Amino acid sequence: MRGNNLTILIVAVLIAVIGVMSIYSSNYQKEGLLWQTIFQRQILWIGLGLLLFFYMSNFNYRRLWDITYIVYGVITFLLFLVFVLGIVRLGAQRWLRLGWFNLQPSEVAKLIMVIFLARYFSSKSSSEVSLPVSRYGIFRGLILPFIFIAFPVGLIIEQPDLGSGLLVMFMFIIMVFLSGVRLRYLVILTVFVGLCFPVVWNYLRDYQKDRLLVFLNPNVDPLGAGYTVIQSKIAIGSGQLFGKGWLLGTQSQLHFLPESHTDFIFATFAEEWGFVGCVILLALYYILIRQGIKIASKTGDYFGKLLACGISLMLGIQVFINICMNMGLAPVVGVPLPLMSYGGSSIMTTFVALGILVNINKKRAVF
Amino acid sequence: MRVHIIGSVIIVAFSILFLSIFNLQVIKGDNYKDQSDKNCIRLLPQAGARGNILDRNGNIIVGNYLSYDVMIMPQDKKVIDKTLEKVGEVLGINIAEIKSRFKKGYLAPFIPVMVASNVDSKKAVVLGELKTDYSSIIIQAHPLRYYPYGKLACHVVGYLNEIDHWRLTKLEDYGYKTKDIVGFGGVEEKYDYYLREDEGALSIEVDHRGRFIRILGFKPPKDGKDIQLTLDLEIQKIAEDAIGDRKASVVIMDPFSGEILAMASNPGFNPAIFINKKNNSIAALDNSALINRSISAGFAPGSIFKLVGASAGLETNKINLATTYTCTGSMRVGNRDFKCWDTHGDENLAQAIAHSCDVYFYRTGLLLGPQAIHDYAQKFSLGKVTGIDLPYEVNGFVPEPLWKRIKLFQNWYNGDTANFVIGQGYTLLTPVQAVRFMAVFANKGDLVTPFIIRNIGGKDMLKSRIKITKVHIKDRVINYLRQDLRGVVNDPTGTANILANLPVSVAGKTGTAEVGRNQTHGWFVGFFPFEKPKYVICVFLESSGSGHSASAVAKQIIGAMSQNNSINLN
Repeated sequence: MRGNNLTILIVAVLIAVIGVMSIYSSNYQKEGLLWQTIFQRQILWIGLGLLLFFYMSNFNYRRLWDITYIVYGVITFLLFLVFVLGIVRLGAQRWLRLGWFNLQPSEVAKLIMVIFLARYFSSKSSSEVSLPVSRYGIFRGLILPFIFIAFPVGLIIEQPDLGSGLLVMFMFIIMVFLSGVRLRYLVILTVFVGLCFPVVWNYLRDYQKDRLLVFLNPNVDPLGAGYTVIQSKIAIGSGQLFGKGWLLGTQSQLHFLPESHTDFIFATFAEEWGFVGCVILLALYYILIRQGIKIASKTGDYFGKLLACGISLMLGIQVFINICMNMGLAPVVGVPLPLMSYGGSSIMTTFVALGILVNINKKRAVF
Repeated sequence: MRVHIIGSVIIVAFSILFLSIFNLQVIKGDNYKDQSDKNCIRLLPQAGARGNILDRNGNIIVGNYLSYDVMIMPQDKKVIDKTLEKVGEVLGINIAEIKSRFKKGYLAPFIPVMVASNVDSKKAVVLGELKTDYSSIIIQAHPLRYYPYGKLACHVVGYLNEIDHWRLTKLEDYGYKTKDIVGFGGVEEKYDYYLREDEGALSIEVDHRGRFIRILGFKPPKDGKDIQLTLDLEIQKIAEDAIGDRKASVVIMDPFSGEILAMASNPGFNPAIFINKKNNSIAALDNSALINRSISAGFAPGSIFKLVGASAGLETNKINLATTYTCTGSMRVGNRDFKCWDTHGDENLAQAIAHSCDVYFYRTGLLLGPQAIHDYAQKFSLGKVTGIDLPYEVNGFVPEPLWKRIKLFQNWYNGDTANFVIGQGYTLLTPVQAVRFMAVFANKGDLVTPFIIRNIGGKDMLKSRIKITKVHIKDRVINYLRQDLRGVVNDPTGTANILANLPVSVAGKTGTAEVGRNQTHGWFVGFFPFEKPKYVICVFLESSGSGHSASAVAKQIIGAMSQNNSINLN
């Protein structure tokens, strides 16, 4: 493994290690065995994630092209299963129990939707020289893929996992943009999604509405989501230039910060490592995403190009939304910080995505 | 190529992040550091009241009363020590004890610590007056569950307890948190989401000495919704009194709508013991006290199951009204003698039902075969949940030959059929299934869905709850058997003849099911008044009763109901 690929691996592992340290710090004062083992489990997920990373980096990504629809079918089925189990068990459920592992299909769905869209927009028949996508009419260029995406997105939002649902929708808009479909359609799509929002609003659960309203005024709900945002801002801000030091963050350790090891891991990190730490972390994420974009622009194969670009953006958007959420600049919708937030499904999906990226880079010379 | 545009978009996005973090940590950093050091935001929880549970006439079965908690807002150590001393003095708790409570409960500098809960109102007033001198005392009133009738209808109502891990994983996404108090069992569990109050909070800013500066935000608490049940408290009381200390269950239902009017199960528990956990009464509970025998346990039905065989026989013309068999006290099936409980001589169907003759039904069962009996049991929806709106209802069980082969690796013998048709062997029924089964004869052919919720938060549920399906059995057959059920009481030698001299005409069927050595379940399932039924009743005595003793309990219940002025029998 050389050059770009090695950079990706090293940066990803570095971020993951920072994540484990922050998770350890956020939980080490909490009582109970469950909390104490969380960072160990995160290490396990990262280990498994690295295995998947090496596997995927040697798995010819063109084969993903062939199995796209199968994978799409499987993930939609899993999402549907989550939905059905949610009804049967009288409760919301985002994961499926697979032995000792709780699979969260909505995390995996993010990646699979990117693969699906990359494949959809790069398909051409053997007789064609140029890609037909720029000549697509509104149905093939917009409506048909929208239907394909809307189904899983609906299931994800229903779980309820608003963050992942919106993220996939957002990815869709971006993939449409990247694919080279006429810009006019893109405008139509954006307007349409915008118009949908009031409709979706009615289907949201109360607490989801609360979270969106809280974004506008955190003091509406001082106990719930608003409180989290207020405390998260205090945590980040009080880190100042050099931070309070590892294991010394008061905000995250005194139970002020709910979700301090998942969605609000950034606040935990920022409090303890300060502005200097944040700049380093941002730089690492930037390098990672930059590598992805570089691979995308160098790749000649259109499927690979779209896929690489989609994967990098998927990571980029999650990083952006999550950090904004931590700083009170975006509503608290539950988007994890890739590679840092606790959670097996998210960690492994991210490593698989990076593995695909590396493989695209390896195979570049072939085409 | 549009990929290049993306590259610049990413640079812009990261710049935004960089600048925002710079703004938060470097420019405003001092301010936030200050806030974090003092954390001058205080949160005062504001409790709402959980919804009441009422009976059909609006009487409160489960309500709330105000209880007072004493909390201390963390401050300088000196001030706190003084305050704790004073509080301890008023409450009569020694200073070391109260200090250790404060230490244990301390979470964060801005969250009040509870040092005493459930303080009586006089002491609460005294402490409230101290507040002028000791500003960190907070008296928090919050409603607690109150059970005016003790263990009455305890299984229907359920109890409250701290959320357990299993429920938490299930309910987390609905905003439930660890340490939340949630319903366990019964209406409290099933309708927790409606009953549940929404905790509010007041967030205030204080200065470094803990003195109030201003209100930052307020979220008013919301009370839970009241739930009205279909239960009639008067009937429920009568039923529970009649059971006494026996292990038993009584279900009384409206045969036309499916409204449950009484559902008693014994042994029970007083839900209040889960609120005040100081005593050891939880550990002292009978280990089956938490089970609602009316819906959560299946029992061998005994002779009440014969009605299935009778319906099947008449419907398929294997027997008719004139079919007569001679009961000699036993009958040989395979290589075993199957006994009847008496020697009845020549019996037709009406007599066989009135006397509950086993031999008659052995013969009918063998003519029908097990599959037909199973299929007819299914027509009455036995072996399936009734769909009552309470949690933890079980299926009961109706066997069939294929099941026996697959699950037990055994063939189905004629002996099994003989046991099956008289309700012995593998068959299991819940009392609520039995009552629903009897309702088919009371209302002449409809299978109702039993339910217990009448009204949630002022919204009438009756319409959406009443679900009736037709049983696919000829009216003629139902009507004929209905007449025979009257005979069980009417006939001087009928098994439930002790119910004959009540002021209301009763019809029904008794059952005595053998379970283990010298132990029998007793059943009486019936309806009254016979002409225009208003009530279906099931009395079930577990492991220590017979059809006769169950009928005696039924007699006591119906007798008491007829004497109670507030219950209209006709």
